[in-house]
Amino acid sequence: MAENDISIIHPRPSSIVAALYTLRDLNVDVAILHGPPGCSFKHARLLEEDGIHVVTTALDENGFVFGGRDELSSLLCKVNEMFDPKLIGVVGTCASMIIGEELREPVQDANLEVPVIEVEVHAGYPNNTKGVLIALESAFEAGVIDEEELGRQKVLLTEATNVEKRHGAASKEYLVPSRGDLKYKVAGKLIDCLKEGKKCLTIMNAKKETGYMFADITVAINEVAKELGVDENIINMANVDENLGLPRVRNHATNIMNDFKEKGVPIHEIIGGMDEYPITGEKVSKLIADKYSDFELVVITGVPHAIPMDNLKEMEVISVTNGPRQVFPLKDMGHDHVVVEIDLHPKTLGVSHIVESEFGATMRELAKDRLNDSQEES
Amino acid sequence: MAQKRIAIYGKGGIGKSSTASNVAAACADEGYKVMIIGCDPKSDSSITLLGGKRIQTILDLLRQKIDVKEEDIVHEGYKGVQCVEVGGPEPGIGCAGRGIIVAIQKLRKVCKSIDDMDLIIYDVPGDIVCGGFVAPIRKGLVNEAYILTSGEYMPLYAANNICKGLSKINTPLSGIICNSRSVTREEDIVKKFSEEIGSKLMAFIPKEQIVQDCERDGFSVLEKAPDSSVASVYRELAHTIMSNGSSVMPSSLEDERLRELTR
Repeated sequence: MAENDISIIHPRPSSIVAALYTLRDLNVDVAILHGPPGCSFKHARLLEEDGIHVVTTALDENGFVFGGRDELSSLLCKVNEMFDPKLIGVVGTCASMIIGEELREPVQDANLEVPVIEVEVHAGYPNNTKGVLIALESAFEAGVIDEEELGRQKVLLTEATNVEKRHGAASKEYLVPSRGDLKYKVAGKLIDCLKEGKKCLTIMNAKKETGYMFADITVAINEVAKELGVDENIINMANVDENLGLPRVRNHATNIMNDFKEKGVPIHEIIGGMDEYPITGEKVSKLIADKYSDFELVVITGVPHAIPMDNLKEMEVISVTNGPRQVFPLKDMGHDHVVVEIDLHPKTLGVSHIVESEFGATMRELAKDRLNDSQEES
Repeated sequence: MAQKRIAIYGKGGIGKSSTASNVAAACADEGYKVMIIGCDPKSDSSITLLGGKRIQTILDLLRQKIDVKEEDIVHEGYKGVQCVEVGGPEPGIGCAGRGIIVAIQKLRKVCKSIDDMDLIIYDVPGDIVCGGFVAPIRKGLVNEAYILTSGEYMPLYAANNICKGLSKINTPLSGIICNSRSVTREEDIVKKFSEEIGSKLMAFIPKEQIVQDCERDGFSVLEKAPDSSVASVYRELAHTIMSNGSSVMPSSLEDERLRELTR
């Protein structure tokens, strides 16, 4: 049977970019794209914001025809001098892989003391998790991660792919992007519910660094609830286990946890590591069934489509995503309100603290206005 | 014994597939476990080991997005020779080079029996026109290369170019095989060429009609005409290859010298 039952025609995340992000999580200092100068431009720039150097061999028409072995080996030497890296990644592109470029040979030619992770990847895979997988396997070969972590990541990747196929960006042949529901209205709804004394569950199920912004929504809800004197009604769940995942990912969890503590936001249930967003669903479902089935309102942020609906049916569901193509699949799942944090990802790169979200800001302002209004009335 | 993984290079049409399949058959006769992997989009390397039948190629199956299993792509031919064809796109469409890369990756992943072989022959296309065509060598799958040529100028010219290519990709040459086209002083010319590039002439296969006759019927000489004199030449070549331990990084000749040789 074919790997993909449906043929998806909307643009999808690229395996090359997925490999780049994985190299970043492995803490490489420099990633070299072996291919044309424009390949993965936008993400390469974003990653530079995140503290790693991304450079390209800039293969041109001549490079496609004659290959780029010398270009790659001399670039390896150049970045070694320029940045004095401790770990380097080399990433293939569609162009270099189609013409049969080998990454091993130029790495040997350059003969550096620094370990180099070679990732032979192109963007022609239906699931971008393939790019992550190839990068991790190469990292394992280079001795950068151990077998246990590789095995753990493989499970997560398979589940991440399944999550996207079930209710995510790979669930339909074509998904229309949408800006979601108006933040003003949804924030108003949320404040009303809190005012009415409804019990509210916040579930942050974020993918790695995106948690820096999704966490702000948890914080905002808690702040507003406090102002309304109903903070007892809030239970917070978040995937911020500090002992799971690649080093950089653990670090994000620690940073976010510290901010939660500083802001006085209790996390009642830690539902996994920051790379475990595809496998938290069952755990969350069980927690709800065991302890929180009487809650009336739930706000799910990050990867909301990974949380099964089974035990949420009786609740009013608000979800916050950063994927405009995720709006309709979430509505189809039965979410009552879907909010999109546009351009969330770029704002969460290169940061080590929680950053303000539009939805969080809207909620805070709206709560302030309403509090002022009611004070004026009384 | 250590596994031999060889590739036979040479100008297109010079007889690589015939030589490969006859050597495979001769080694199978000797009791060796042999696999032949056809890397040409024409998929005709194993045809004379399968009684003239064509097998499904790896790329045929990949094109249909089938989850490829070992038994789908490895077919048993004459005396247990394991036959694999990479296949490829229609002429003039897509990218055959990429096809070889993808197929070889798939083969490595699903084919467990490859480790048990005594001899694996990669029958590669005559012209290494792009990166994909050297994938078997680059991926570390081939540890010995042979070049097939006649005493004619053009095949020798091609052989000389292949020598340049082999040293470029750091692959040693284990010997030159002459597939005769019955030109004058042929054995001398090829012998001289072999020596001047630092290698040796492994065998001289005479031009015999019987090879063509067997091929037309869909068989190797070893199967259809085992008592012919050319069959014993193949047998001897097979023996030489299996016992050959030496290889060199070949040098190459200036074009002028090449012309002189063939004059």
